[in-house]
Amino acid sequence: MSKTHLYLRTGFPRAPLANGLGRYMCQVKRITIKFCKSHGSSRGVRDFIETDMIDFVKQNPEFVLYLKPRRHHSPHLIAEYLNGEKFHMSFHNFNREEISKWVNLMKTRAGAPIMAYRKLGHTDNPSIQGVWSPFANQDTSLNVTSFPNEKLSRKFQTEPTATELLLEMFKKQQLEDSEANESKEEESK
Amino acid sequence: MVFPTALLLARTPNPDRFWKKRKIFKMSAHFYGRSRNCYSIAIRSVHRALQYARRSKDHKKADSIALYTQRIRAGAEEHGVPYVLFREGLTRSNIMLDRKTLSDLAAWEPRTFKSLTEIAAAKCIDDNIVGSRHLEEPKYFFGRDMLKRFWNR
Amino acid sequence: MSAYERVKQWNTFARIWHIYDAKWQNPFDSAKVISKHIQGLHKPIYHPLNNCGDHVIVFNSRHIALPGYEWKKRAYFHHTGYPGGASWTLAWQLHEINPTLVMQKAVKWELPRGLSKFGLMARLHIFPDEEIPEELLKNVTSQLRQLRPVPRTLDSYSDKEIEEFPKVMDYPNDYILK
Repeated sequence: MSKTHLYLRTGFPRAPLANGLGRYMCQVKRITIKFCKSHGSSRGVRDFIETDMIDFVKQNPEFVLYLKPRRHHSPHLIAEYLNGEKFHMSFHNFNREEISKWVNLMKTRAGAPIMAYRKLGHTDNPSIQGVWSPFANQDTSLNVTSFPNEKLSRKFQTEPTATELLLEMFKKQQLEDSEANESKEEESK
Repeated sequence: MVFPTALLLARTPNPDRFWKKRKIFKMSAHFYGRSRNCYSIAIRSVHRALQYARRSKDHKKADSIALYTQRIRAGAEEHGVPYVLFREGLTRSNIMLDRKTLSDLAAWEPRTFKSLTEIAAAKCIDDNIVGSRHLEEPKYFFGRDMLKRFWNR
Repeated sequence: MSAYERVKQWNTFARIWHIYDAKWQNPFDSAKVISKHIQGLHKPIYHPLNNCGDHVIVFNSRHIALPGYEWKKRAYFHHTGYPGGASWTLAWQLHEINPTLVMQKAVKWELPRGLSKFGLMARLHIFPDEEIPEELLKNVTSQLRQLRPVPRTLDSYSDKEIEEFPKVMDYPNDYILK
């Protein structure tokens, strides 16, 4: 048995065509509400149609709202979006407030399938200074260096070696000796 | 429900028990074999799965920290500053950035990260922290006092 | 993704070829550095699932320096699978058979366990001497620093230098020079 339908799909938030940056385009194309003129389960839908629907449609000229009376059917909504997605939703025994909230939600949705977001943000420009690359912090002189290179290979000598220390001590000793000799000579003179 | 005989009525399970089992079966829906559909096995597997899930919450945090640390270490060592000195220098300079931010900066804003390594290295040398002897001499100075100290050195 | 974005991604995930001179280096310390570069641990974009490791060319592997008595004491175990098929090869023997194997095994141990080892080891190129194929050498854009200074041998000092070197101590009178 496949497990794909058991859990929410996961994904990353995307706005279609950078919607909302500078201009906003309502993504819902058509909302169809089917209801019954006599059944009790459509009571809320009928109330919605009588009181809120005209204002709602006038405020939102971007999409069409179809009403389809269907005898003895449970009321439901179908929202169709610009990306071709289609959403069904039952309005069985919903009241007027609930219906206007759900219709409003369908209006503001982008039509993307419902998914669990792995990240809550998205940016088209993640880096201002340019993404790190292996060449970002390289010395440009490496472009004209031939490899293998003795100078680049050698370990940085941060401290003098024992040999160097010995030679230094030796030099110092020689200097002291020569100074002592000079002073002796002066005394003898 | 229709009960043609009293016997069947007595054998009808308690509806509460159904919901209790359903709660478990929903969580075992993606398991393999009988641990999906047999309650006594399913509940054991679900308990174990929940234990794993709980443990993984800690593991996830630890793994993230390890990954961020590795990335910061890589970024800092590219500029010749060991990780320990880098964090120490930043803390002493009162730059309170967490690992995630630093690792993001290392990958996405490399120039900012480079200047952070320079600040940290200069602070380490200034405070004469163990191991800072091998760092490169700073090119920039932060404050008159630091400049004076370097001048007198 | 635009063409420019695509090129930026290639730039970020570009594979670098490093070169490492193993002359007078401890292979087991060197392996730590080399394995880090092979895995891509030296990059701030590292992720275990991210294929961002680099190539490393190691040359002069014939001239590695093992610490202490390792040449004599380190044994490489192999078992053919048949009864009595066990064999222990000392490091100096193995080095005589193939002067790249000590280095190769050192890096192999340093890499994480698992099947990823095969793919990672494919990015390591070891050469016993200074001869490196031209087609590999032309990829190289970076050199790894050696971990210890290469010591000067007595032959490399001129007679004048040897004469001028300060005398540190005198031999005792009863010391017999060979």
